[in-house]
Amino acid sequence: MLRHLFTLIWNRKRANLLLISEIFFSFVVLFVVGVVLITTAENYLTPHGFNYNEVWRLQVRAGQGLKMPRAELDEVLRHVKALPGVRTVALTSGNVPFVFSTNNSEFSYQGKKSPVTNVYDADDHYLEAMQLHLREGRWFGPAEDGSNHRPVVISQDLRQSLFGNGPAVGKVFTYLNPGKDPKPEHQFLVMGVVDNVRMSSDFNAAEPSVWNRLIPFDTTHWETANVLVRVAPGEGGALQEKIARTVAGVTRQWTTEVRVVNDDRLNRRRYTLVPVVGLSIVGLFLIINVALGLFGVLWYNISQRRAEIGLRRAMGATGAGIGWQFLGEMMVVTTFGVSLGSLLAAQFPLLNAFDLPAHPYLLAIGGAAGAVYLITALCAWQPSQLAAGIQPAVALREE
Amino acid sequence: MENLLANPTSYSQAAPLAGAAGTPVLRLTNIEKVYQTSTIETVALNQVNLVINRGEFVSIMGPSGCGKSTLLSLMGLLDEPTRGTIEVDGRPVQSYSDRELAGLRNLKIGFVFQSYHLINDLSVVDNVELPLLYRPGMSGKDRRQRALAVLDKVGLGARTGHFPSQLSGGQRQRVAIARALAGAPEIILADEPTGNLDSVMGEEIMDLLLGLNRQDGVTIVMVTHDEQQALKTERVIRFFDGSQVG
Repeated sequence: MLRHLFTLIWNRKRANLLLISEIFFSFVVLFVVGVVLITTAENYLTPHGFNYNEVWRLQVRAGQGLKMPRAELDEVLRHVKALPGVRTVALTSGNVPFVFSTNNSEFSYQGKKSPVTNVYDADDHYLEAMQLHLREGRWFGPAEDGSNHRPVVISQDLRQSLFGNGPAVGKVFTYLNPGKDPKPEHQFLVMGVVDNVRMSSDFNAAEPSVWNRLIPFDTTHWETANVLVRVAPGEGGALQEKIARTVAGVTRQWTTEVRVVNDDRLNRRRYTLVPVVGLSIVGLFLIINVALGLFGVLWYNISQRRAEIGLRRAMGATGAGIGWQFLGEMMVVTTFGVSLGSLLAAQFPLLNAFDLPAHPYLLAIGGAAGAVYLITALCAWQPSQLAAGIQPAVALREE
Repeated sequence: MENLLANPTSYSQAAPLAGAAGTPVLRLTNIEKVYQTSTIETVALNQVNLVINRGEFVSIMGPSGCGKSTLLSLMGLLDEPTRGTIEVDGRPVQSYSDRELAGLRNLKIGFVFQSYHLINDLSVVDNVELPLLYRPGMSGKDRRQRALAVLDKVGLGARTGHFPSQLSGGQRQRVAIARALAGAPEIILADEPTGNLDSVMGEEIMDLLLGLNRQDGVTIVMVTHDEQQALKTERVIRFFDGSQVG
């Protein structure tokens, strides 16, 4: 019977082309939505690699066109750190966790090229403020004050791409195109390796990262300084006010803003979820449309094939057999559509598209195929039952 | 020519052409068929008593709407009478389940229709295989062999890969007869088999049916409007307004 169904569908391929196309596109949409959802969920369940709780982001601005001397800034940081309830403060660059600010570059080590890597500036207290998990070596500190190279700490994924399984600590890497004679500050000495970090949002994957040491005695004058403040649990608005007053106490020209990193995280989560939810809703509507279309096509199909149903009953088919035949035909049509879709979808893991591992693609192929079979079976069930109930004598008389 | 019907091949479920010629194969007793809607009650058949003996070629005649096709549907177990009993080989079938009736149709009865009822998307040989698909335990190879053999018998051995749309009306009806024969049934029920054909093709089909009856002993019940063709059969049963009148 299965061979008969394949023969029938194959011979009706022109008539079934639209149906197969609909199933193909449904599969592709479900596959794409599936990959996005699986990847998003996997990212969500992966540790962030740092502790964002009880961390505040203190932004100090010198004012339009004004620069803040580093010594004065260090004075501010000392006063803030001394406040009761403040555990530690760390000076960093503007690309703090969960804000829409990135700074990235590419690096190389002995011909090995890194992927695009997030670059953070960090002082010696950053590890403590962010509670990163050190895997190898150590965080940079005063011992590196006289270093010929720029001391850095790198994330595990950057370590893998540049050094593989070989040693990383103590190695020096450069920018991807360092020029003939790179300056010492453009040569990066690996001091330590930390766990991968996900600083973009709850739903983004970990990205290779490097933390460049902000040298305490450098003379860079900034317009804006970003400071991460780790506070004791339970601290809130009162301490934020104290911090603002403390900064104002050092210099009245500077303005401050204190934000809770966790609030930034929740804000960023909304922005990241919007396209995911939007895509899912569009996909859902598309699938509902396809399901209604399938339902309609099957109804029409059965009304056009009443004589055939009567004939098959006369030849010895039972009512239930007719129902199963129509369901089976739909499954065969679905198999054609899903096979075409799977062929397309299989190219993604084979071509390593979007730098994703293979398993989200494979899971999405399986999930999309299962969902398409389920949808088509549900859509075909009622019309099949209708076909099963057709009286053969009536159907044969109609033509 | 091989007598396929007297030797229905090796598959176990095949209906043997059992029973001596002249014994009843179909018996209809006090059959009434009433079609009922919310407002109208239409009596299609009224107190029909009929016996079809094995090996007979019977024609049923009557004006349009007199209940001939309804009678054929009842004989073919495609419909149930409102009252009365139908016996196949001496066994009443009114208590049979859908599955049992389907099995009985598959094994004992072949159908030939005025409008052929071929499936246009299946080749000739696939159409002929159709009744054998519903015969459990029969292999695809056996089905194909048997379909090719009956196509050869009806003179369409060279057209097995064609599709119905590529055939003439007479050839299509031959395919339909081959399909009816494929299952080696005891009875062929033919509903105006020459109704859509010109006189020459009609004669060809009639000759084929007569050959099957006389040489292979197939019981045939044929509904027809053609008096000349009816006279070629052994018995003519006439209907008028749902009742047997002759």
